[in-house]
Amino acid sequence: MKQTFELRVNGRVHRIEAAPDRRLLEVLREDLGLGSVREGCGIGMCGACTVLLGGRPVSSCLLLVSQVHHQEIVTVEGLEENGALHPVQRAFIEHFAFQCAYCTPGFVLSAVAMLEREPDPDEQVLLEYLSGNLCRCGSYLNILKAVRAAAQGRRLHSS
Amino acid sequence: MSPEVLHPATLEETLAVLEAYGEEARLLAGGTALVLLLRHGLIAPRALICLEEVSELQSIQFNEDHVWIGAMIRLQTLARSPRIRALFPVLAMACGEVGNIRIRYQATLGGNLAEADYASDPPIALITLDAIVWVQKAEGKRAIPIAGFFQGLYTTALEPCELIVGIQIPYPPPGARMAYLKFRTRSAEDRPCVGVAALGVFEDGICQDLRVAVGAACERPQRLPEVEQLAVGRSLDERVIRLIAQGYADQIETLSDLRGSADYRKRMIEVHVRRALEEVCNGHGAIGAGAGR
Repeated sequence: MKQTFELRVNGRVHRIEAAPDRRLLEVLREDLGLGSVREGCGIGMCGACTVLLGGRPVSSCLLLVSQVHHQEIVTVEGLEENGALHPVQRAFIEHFAFQCAYCTPGFVLSAVAMLEREPDPDEQVLLEYLSGNLCRCGSYLNILKAVRAAAQGRRLHSS
Repeated sequence: MSPEVLHPATLEETLAVLEAYGEEARLLAGGTALVLLLRHGLIAPRALICLEEVSELQSIQFNEDHVWIGAMIRLQTLARSPRIRALFPVLAMACGEVGNIRIRYQATLGGNLAEADYASDPPIALITLDAIVWVQKAEGKRAIPIAGFFQGLYTTALEPCELIVGIQIPYPPPGARMAYLKFRTRSAEDRPCVGVAALGVFEDGICQDLRVAVGAACERPQRLPEVEQLAVGRSLDERVIRLIAQGYADQIETLSDLRGSADYRKRMIEVHVRRALEEVCNGHGAIGAGAGR
């Protein structure tokens, strides 16, 4: 029994037909073709399916499409502004903060969510936001360097 | 077959649909637990009642002698709220230890209590704070002291067609010291093997009130009032602390699971009750601001 949902994703409104208990993860990947949203563990532990929901980082594998239809959803596809990558994305490239990159979109979104709330994060805040994302290649050191650099860049930019 | 998803906007509407569907409906709060139960086919309700838009469940109110926390308040809000951190540091600490940042931004306090997972941090803190769970169904509402709310594994005092509307927490005495210790045996984001919450009130070094709750090691979080009483009227020296830690280890009926055996948990209860009490009386424990706000 499908229903029509209006989803606001990356600044655009999409009308989709889906069963109300379909997971947001599947809708984003399969119906909207947003391949950056990835299924890792499927139980909210790994962070590969992280999206921003009204600015909050959440696991799209733990959300039903009917729970989210009024709120703004952001994936990494929506981070570019005027063709320029988000500063967090640029920092990931500069610091080579990945190997296979399966986990990268999730890490980037967790970092973006953190910087939106905590413009001057200390190490504790950094770990609070990033420790829930897993990287099986073990690129953690470079990921932390990239996010520290992005935070530093934001501080310089705003001062 | 897919369940129907309903979106009531008020408490009255919610109670009406709960009544209409009865046991065939499930309440959907944050969804971090419920979505997994659905996916694994452990539940197959005819309807899900989404509480996201129910206005009465969404507020935190700092009243004269207690705080009111609406059932849909998210764990991250409680972990980061400056006033909750100042007044109830043990609750903020326990909420901040749950899962990972995404779980805390999605999961709600009401959903956490209703699930009654034995291996969960917030209930342990709420028991030391003498919280009251307000529940409601079409016939009316009632208050359940939190110690009686949890009845066993995944079992609560909620009746059919009843939902949690909010949690009321009295302000602890000014200067009460609190600590929450989460002991994990597997990974950083894991549920606790043992969780210990402690709250102590001291005057000139003499303990006036001590509350210690142990959870995750047993079917439901528990306090042992007779053991707590060993502290009252004394200074918490090493001997008294050991006596209390031993009392908890002896009397709590522990369980075995992937996070540790029943015997191991008894030993870990002793260690972590001792450490929590040391934090509380050495002054390292966070100090609650008291009712002055």
